[in-house]
Amino acid sequence: MTADGSSPPRAAAPRGRRRGSGDPAAKTNAAPAASEERPLTKQAHAVRLEKLRAFYGRAEQVKGVDLDFHANQVTAIIGPSGCGKSTLVRCINRMHEEIPDAHAEGRVLLDEVDIYGSEVDVVAVRRAIGMIFQKPNPFPTMSIFDNVAAGLRLSGAGRSDLHEKVESALRGAGLWEEVKDRLAQPGIGLSGGQQQRLCIARSLAVDPEVLLMDEPCSALDPIATLKIEDLIDELKLAVTIVIVTHNMQQAARVADRTAFMLSGELVEVGPTNTIFTNPTDRRTEEYVTGKFG
Amino acid sequence: MTPLPADVLAAFAPSAARRRRDRAARGVIAGLTVLALIPLVLLVYYLLRKGLGSWSGSFFTTDPTGATFFKNVSIGGIKSAILGTIEMVALASAIAIPIGVGVAVWLVEYGRAGAFANVVRFFVDVLTGVPSIVFGLFIYITLVITGLVGRGLAGYKGSLALALLMLPVVIRSSEVILLLVPNSLREAALALGAPRWKVISRIVIPTALPGMITGVLLAVARASGETAPLLFTVGGANKTTLGLGAQVNALPLQIYNDIISPTTAVINRAWGAALTLVVMILVLNLIARLTSRRSRVA
Amino acid sequence: MSPASLGSPAGAGRPHFQDELHSLEEQTLSGIDLLIDQLDRTLEALRHQDVELATLVIDDDDRIDGRYLEVHQGILSLLARQAPVAGDLRLVAALLHVIKHIERMGDQCVNVCKLIPLCGHEPPTEPHVHEMVLRMGTLARSEVTQAKAAFAGRNVELAEDLVRQDREINAIQRDIFRRAIEIGDEPDVREWAMTMILVARCIERIGDNAVDIGEQTAFVVTGLFREFSDSSHRG
Repeated sequence: MTADGSSPPRAAAPRGRRRGSGDPAAKTNAAPAASEERPLTKQAHAVRLEKLRAFYGRAEQVKGVDLDFHANQVTAIIGPSGCGKSTLVRCINRMHEEIPDAHAEGRVLLDEVDIYGSEVDVVAVRRAIGMIFQKPNPFPTMSIFDNVAAGLRLSGAGRSDLHEKVESALRGAGLWEEVKDRLAQPGIGLSGGQQQRLCIARSLAVDPEVLLMDEPCSALDPIATLKIEDLIDELKLAVTIVIVTHNMQQAARVADRTAFMLSGELVEVGPTNTIFTNPTDRRTEEYVTGKFG
Repeated sequence: MTPLPADVLAAFAPSAARRRRDRAARGVIAGLTVLALIPLVLLVYYLLRKGLGSWSGSFFTTDPTGATFFKNVSIGGIKSAILGTIEMVALASAIAIPIGVGVAVWLVEYGRAGAFANVVRFFVDVLTGVPSIVFGLFIYITLVITGLVGRGLAGYKGSLALALLMLPVVIRSSEVILLLVPNSLREAALALGAPRWKVISRIVIPTALPGMITGVLLAVARASGETAPLLFTVGGANKTTLGLGAQVNALPLQIYNDIISPTTAVINRAWGAALTLVVMILVLNLIARLTSRRSRVA
Repeated sequence: MSPASLGSPAGAGRPHFQDELHSLEEQTLSGIDLLIDQLDRTLEALRHQDVELATLVIDDDDRIDGRYLEVHQGILSLLARQAPVAGDLRLVAALLHVIKHIERMGDQCVNVCKLIPLCGHEPPTEPHVHEMVLRMGTLARSEVTQAKAAFAGRNVELAEDLVRQDREINAIQRDIFRRAIEIGDEPDVREWAMTMILVARCIERIGDNAVDIGEQTAFVVTGLFREFSDSSHRG
């Protein structure tokens, strides 16, 4: 405080986290946040949901959601159990319809192409939009190398330079150094955290635009979890990432934007910083402070 | 660690009545086990005692001659029976396994819980309980006495009967193993952009393979030992015939014919054949166990 | 869709955490009560040139410092263990600021009390200045009380009203300054006048800290940090 009683000017709002989206004033729609200065490895596509509804038989689990996932950013979806977040995410790569009696309505646009369009090949969609599941699921009959190559072989993508692609995918998943000397060993011989990174490498091998992660760290120990969170921070330079998580601290750590869902509806979405320091909706405030859920 | 005081120990000790009941129960179970083992042990003993004597080089390399009454005419071995069994069961497997696995795959991957799939499952369950002689009769009525494929007994008709016998067993065991493949693997493959048929052929079946082989081998073992279906369809023969278009010999048939003979040597041959059959099935079972140990799902 | 229609009623989650947060707020606000006591005694000592009372105030500042450390430690522990977010996080951050302001206000009371022996034992030379200083003190006291009420009640209007009172304090301070300059040539008188200027400045600082507490109130409620005073720039 100076002698004449005035105070030095202060910042308008708390500054963003190191990895976060920065202060709200700097938010733009497509470009990475102002505090991000790392160059993109690949300009990925953005995803938009328009009036997405998902059904199990007659029961409506996702009730008309409009949501944007910005390119090369991590968007987290949080909410209490049964709010429909996993169902929502499974609609994005059209895995939802694999469940008997389940269907979805509405539009899911991958860079302006509606992947629910009648002339769209489901298989092609899933090559562009990969998925990591809660429990690591490497193929038990295959070696580490074959697991990573499985994505390329199964999807019928090019078989040329398989070795280069496998190595690049393993590097991208932060696993290369740990397994480069034992690529022929079975994939299930790795630890839980390594298996999950193997699954990430498998998905990366087909060069996706978007990576969907359904509670990827729930089955892992804290150290493995942190490694994967660091990995997510690197991966977003090449792909758009959507992560469903029960763990709010995780959403706060990794996500640029966070969406809060409740009973099948989207309650609020915004920069993670805002959601966790000053959310707009009362229900969001109550959920993140742990007053329910 | 200091020992617990006596009164604490006493509180945890079982009562005398409990101990008595426990001992009685254990005694009963042990007794039942011994009771169950007795016939098995006797069986193995008799087989070995009566059958081993007949085994010799010529036993396995000569056909039965059909002669039973005359002492100075050789009765022959069981070569044609062994070969006939192997051929017929091989053909039956070639028919039953692809169809059976195919039905199991359809039930698990496509039919799932649908109404039609449940109907199929019901009929498969019914078929597993059908006596083997009924399959033989079915082939007899449809193929042996009618002119559909030429009248008469033939080896391949026996194979068909055996295939019908094997089919429900293959379907059930394959279905069980395929259901044990975790759904997470299918999801992972689908999410990578694999079409469903590739998911099945490249992921599901290879994962289920050891378990399925076990189930298939057990079906094969069972088919090798069936006599009734062969009675009305194959008929039996003495000479080795490599084609299955006419009557063929088979081990169960050989045993069936020989055991009622008055000649001791022939009866001994029957025991030798029975031992051979049991050993063949034993070997198949051992292979099945070894492959199942490498199983990745069950 | 009210949270009450969901599984657990609103406010039912994390009871230990809520209790702890509430207790920290209580400790902070009751720190203001301690401060008001100090302020009352300071003004009393000032009115009657009571050096003994002044010494008491100076010694008692330890209690406020102790309260600061308690709250500070409690907040660190809460942050480490409970990871508060949103409204809870803003409240915690605000409490950290508020307890600091309380501590500073306590220090200003001590500064005033340290100046009292320098005033000498004679009656004040310029009663008018003396009165103005006491009036400043009373205003400051009411500002602090109002700041506490605003924070406890999360009342933004009440908080913003603090600016009005603070302007009055600043006006009186400028007045005292002018009068003190014109006060005369005798060294004793001039010394006393300088002391009064310093005292006035300490009281003015107390008022500023109270306004800051008001700004923290607004921050907790709105999530935006805004300068109340209009002297440098509009927030």
